Amino acid sequence: VRRGDKYRFWVILAFLVALQFSVRSRLGDERIAPDFLLLALLIYTIRSQPGRSAAAGFVVGLLRDALTPASFGAGALAHTLVGYLSAWGKAVFFAENLFVNGCLFFAGTWFRNLVVALASGKLKGGQLGWELLVWSPLQSLTTAVSGVAVLWLFGRWLSIRLSES
Amino acid sequence: MALGTDRYASRTDTLLFLGCVALSLAAMSLPPALRDPVAAALRQTVLAPFLRLQQESELLRTSQSRFEQVISQRDSAALAATFLPELRNENTRLRALLGLGQRLVTGYTPAEVLHQAAPTDPLTLDVSAGRRQGVHPLSAVVCPEGLVGVVFAVDAQTSVVITWAHPEFRASAMAADGSVFGIVAPHGTEGPGVWLLELRGVPYLQAVPIGTVILTSGLGGVFPRGIPLGTVIGVAGETEGWERTYLVRPAVQPAGVTHVMILGFARTGADVQGGFPPVRGGETP
Repeated sequence: VRRGDKYRFWVILAFLVALQFSVRSRLGDERIAPDFLLLALLIYTIRSQPGRSAAAGFVVGLLRDALTPASFGAGALAHTLVGYLSAWGKAVFFAENLFVNGCLFFAGTWFRNLVVALASGKLKGGQLGWELLVWSPLQSLTTAVSGVAVLWLFGRWLSIRLSES
Repeated sequence: MALGTDRYASRTDTLLFLGCVALSLAAMSLPPALRDPVAAALRQTVLAPFLRLQQESELLRTSQSRFEQVISQRDSAALAATFLPELRNENTRLRALLGLGQRLVTGYTPAEVLHQAAPTDPLTLDVSAGRRQGVHPLSAVVCPEGLVGVVFAVDAQTSVVITWAHPEFRASAMAADGSVFGIVAPHGTEGPGVWLLELRGVPYLQAVPIGTVILTSGLGGVFPRGIPLGTVIGVAGETEGWERTYLVRPAVQPAGVTHVMILGFARTGADVQGGFPPVRGGETP
C-alpha cells in the first residue's frame, strides 16, 4: 500500500463517519437508513487483520453504546464479532468482487443487528421479528448499496482490487 | 479454533478478538452506576465533535424546514393580502344586499353568481338558485345597485340569467321622475360603448338631460317598477323629428356581481323603487 493510498483510505473512512453524523438523518426512516459507521468498519476489515478488525469493532461498538446506554456492551460485542468475522471470512472465502463485497456489507449489517437485538435483550416477540425480518434487511440493503457505491467510486483509493467476475 | 482461523488469523488476532469479546461482556455486565459515567465520559470527549456535527446538521435541516415554512406563510399572507380588498368589497356588497332584502320585505331568493371562465360570462350568468329554491323563468335579478338581468332558464339547483349586456335583453324604462318612457337595450357589441345601455324610443321633443336616472317602468309585467338601470350620459343617435336614443351608463357591471336577489312573481308588477338607495344623477350608483 502506497503512502498516498493510505491517506486516501483514512480520508474515505473519515468521510463515511462524517456522513453518519451529518447526512444520515436526512435519508429517511432511521430504521432503514444506511449505517455509514458500520460501513466504514466493514471497509476497514477488508484490508485489515482479524485481530485489528475486532479491536476496531470493539471501539466503534463501545462508542455507539455510549450513545445508547440502554444496551451498553451489546454494540461492542456485536461490532467485535462483525469485525473479526468479516476480516477472517474475507481472507478465507471472499473474492475481490463488487457483488461479494455487497453481500458482505448486507450480511455484516444484518448480523450486527441480530447480535445487538439478542444481546441487549430489549427486543422480544413480534418486535424482534419485525426488527430482524423487516427493518434489518432493509437497512442491510441500503448499507450494502451505499458500500458498493463507495467501492465502485473509490475502490482504487481503498486499494481494493475488484475483479470483473 | 477452526482450521481457517489457524491459517488466516494469527494467535495475536485470536487473543485480541477474545479480549474484545471479554471486554464487551464485561461492559454488558456493568451496573448502571459504573456504566453511565463511562458512557457520559465518552460522549463528552471522543464523541463530542461528532455529536456537535450531528447537532449542526439537524439545526441546518430544521432551519431549512423553518425557512420553507416561513416562505409558505409569507406566500399565504401575500395571497390573502391580494384578496383583502376584494373581500372587503364583497362584505360591503353583502351588507347592501341584506339591506335591500329587508327593504323588499318578501318575495326574493338570494343566490350566488357562479362566474365562468369564458369571455361571454358577462352576457349570461349562472346563479346558485333554481327550481327548488322557488326561482321561475323571467324573474327579475337585482343587486343593491340595480337590475342585473332576467332569469332565462331554471334548473333544479341553478338558473341561467341573461344580463342587460345580452343582445336580446330589453326592459321597459322610464326617467326617475316618470317624465320619459322608452325601451332600454344593450348599446351594441362593437366599439367603445360596448358595455353601455341605450334608451330607445324617446320622443324627439322630450329631451332627457344628462345625469337622469333611468329605472324600470313596470310596463310589460316582467320587471317591477323602480329598479335602477343606469344614468343617461349622452345622446347616441336620433331620427330627426321623430325620436332620440340616449346612452345610459349601467347601474350594474355583471362581471363584478357576486351575489344577487331573484325577485319572485309576487313582486313583479309592484313598485320597488323605495327598496333601492336613491341614485344621484351624473354619478355611478
